[in-house]
Amino acid sequence: MKMRYLMLALLLSIGSLPGQSISAEEILNKVDANMISKSGKSTTRMVVHSRRASRTIESINYSLGDSKFYSEYTSPPRDKGTKMLKLDSDLWIFDPNTDRTIQISGNMLKQSVMGSDLSYEDFMEEGSLTEDYSAKIIESITHEGRACWVMELTALRDDVSYQKRRIYIDKERFVSLYEEWFAKSGKLLKTVSASEVKRISGRWYPTKILFKDELKQGQGTEYYIDSIEFDITIPPHTFSKAMLKK
Amino acid sequence: MILRLAFRNIVANGWRSITNMLVLSVVLIVIVWMQAMYFSWIRLAETQQIDWEYAKGMLRVRSYDANDPFSWEDSHAPLSAQMQGAVQQGELMPVLLSPASIYPQGRLMSAMLKGIPHDQNLVKLPAKILNPQGRDMIPVLMGTVMARSTRLSKGDVFSIRVKDINGSFNAVDAIVEDVIEIPAVTADIGSIWMDLATLREVKAMEDETTYLVMADAGLKSLEQGEFKHIDKNEYFADLYQMLKNERFQQALLYGLLLLLAMLAVFDTQALAVFRRRREIGTLAALGFTRGKISLLFTVEGALYMLFAGGLSAVLGFPLFWYFAKVGFKLPDSYDEFGIQGFSEPIRFVYPMGEILVIFALILLLTIWVSWIPTRQISRMNPVDALRGKVN
Repeated sequence: MKMRYLMLALLLSIGSLPGQSISAEEILNKVDANMISKSGKSTTRMVVHSRRASRTIESINYSLGDSKFYSEYTSPPRDKGTKMLKLDSDLWIFDPNTDRTIQISGNMLKQSVMGSDLSYEDFMEEGSLTEDYSAKIIESITHEGRACWVMELTALRDDVSYQKRRIYIDKERFVSLYEEWFAKSGKLLKTVSASEVKRISGRWYPTKILFKDELKQGQGTEYYIDSIEFDITIPPHTFSKAMLKK
Repeated sequence: MILRLAFRNIVANGWRSITNMLVLSVVLIVIVWMQAMYFSWIRLAETQQIDWEYAKGMLRVRSYDANDPFSWEDSHAPLSAQMQGAVQQGELMPVLLSPASIYPQGRLMSAMLKGIPHDQNLVKLPAKILNPQGRDMIPVLMGTVMARSTRLSKGDVFSIRVKDINGSFNAVDAIVEDVIEIPAVTADIGSIWMDLATLREVKAMEDETTYLVMADAGLKSLEQGEFKHIDKNEYFADLYQMLKNERFQQALLYGLLLLLAMLAVFDTQALAVFRRRREIGTLAALGFTRGKISLLFTVEGALYMLFAGGLSAVLGFPLFWYFAKVGFKLPDSYDEFGIQGFSEPIRFVYPMGEILVIFALILLLTIWVSWIPTRQISRMNPVDALRGKVN
């Protein structure tokens, strides 16, 4: 009898091993909980590699929910003062050299941001993983020394930008360490690799990310988050067009 | 008699007359050359656009504005049953436009995908080669300017990324089936042509169309709902506006040239009135009225212009012939400016009506300028004139 209870207990314990009993949806919820905040302020560096040289663009960024975003470039001197404002589906750029604000739309949205592997369209992306995708755990692997679930995400609606994604989620920290974003045709469009994850304000957050446009030649664009604050109070006027010319 | 006298005076005037006629003929040659250039440019641009894009007319989605990139992504609409019928009859040809990102040799660039039925025959674009049947990759066609700017050539493979009707990314590989000379710049610069059905499939836009090309001008009656008839004036609005601006500059130049020529005529005539005062006195003594004497000088001026016209024809002929045969061509580097009508040599056609009107106007101007100095004659005392005195 004792032996039977022992076997049962062992089986139950196997079933409740960390990461084994959790559903795909719960994983996405935990990832969203790490990544999404009501508001945020960050200082970042974007390292853009071109054929001849690399350049680093530093910026201060503010966000409110997933529909409002304001960014100001602080370096290099040539780009200092360039500002970008996103309000829902509209995007404006202020160029201090010409003292003009232009709205980015249509074909311009498809252009690369400062020569990086990110397009303006990528900045327009909104929504959390759980809102946009249904998920399926494909397998468990070890990626860069971390135990991960490989998950396949299928868009819940036709208007989601990437209809399919494959993501590697760190089993312990619930952070995506590697992502593949696919077109409707199944063609791989972008990859995102997080090579550094830090504990910030109780969340695990990637602080060094490599974005790579897979249709484009090159080494990709490195993105460093040097500091980040979550759920802070940001004055509403930060997300106004008047801020661009200030 | 006045005419004979005027002719004799011109001959007697020697090099002064020749200089006057030369100046007038140079002005005439420049004006005729420029008139012919503008006339032939517009004619060629219209012909090219009509042959390659406009045909007999166009029905276009109201929201589309070629100068407003904001409008491009959403400028499409389904066809009415009546329009679909006309499409099946071959009377209308649907074209779908879609902004896209392309990756030639792994470089990110923007382009406009243009879907055209591969079995069309309304415009000169050789769409047959765009038939995707039995092909692994989507065949596309582009003009030489686009090929140069993307550094793509025949046989090259590149990726295309678009957003479909719902806003979701789609991407496909395409092969450059051919690179051709497309004289209509709007069908070349920034454009990649592919089969309409294929583009609709990639964009998930079944039956969506941006504009319809008409086989017959009478089909404008099909204008309805989302589709608006685009007449020639609207279609060529930019070209006509550019011509209007050019015309202004042209008028300034003509004015300057004519001013110089008229100054030469005026100067000669004023000097002649002063120099020939004894002759004026003699003519008056012989019974010539002041009016007749003025007429003599005015006829001399008019003759200058008539002879200058003849001289222009002789001197200008080699130039006019060269531009009519060989044409006027801007360097290739100007192709990318997208000026309609400059993609191939402009072979000059001379608008005789316009040229004759201009000639008549200059003739009148010359007569007037020749007459002005003769007003002095009316104030002359014949006796003083005979004695060589000036009033």
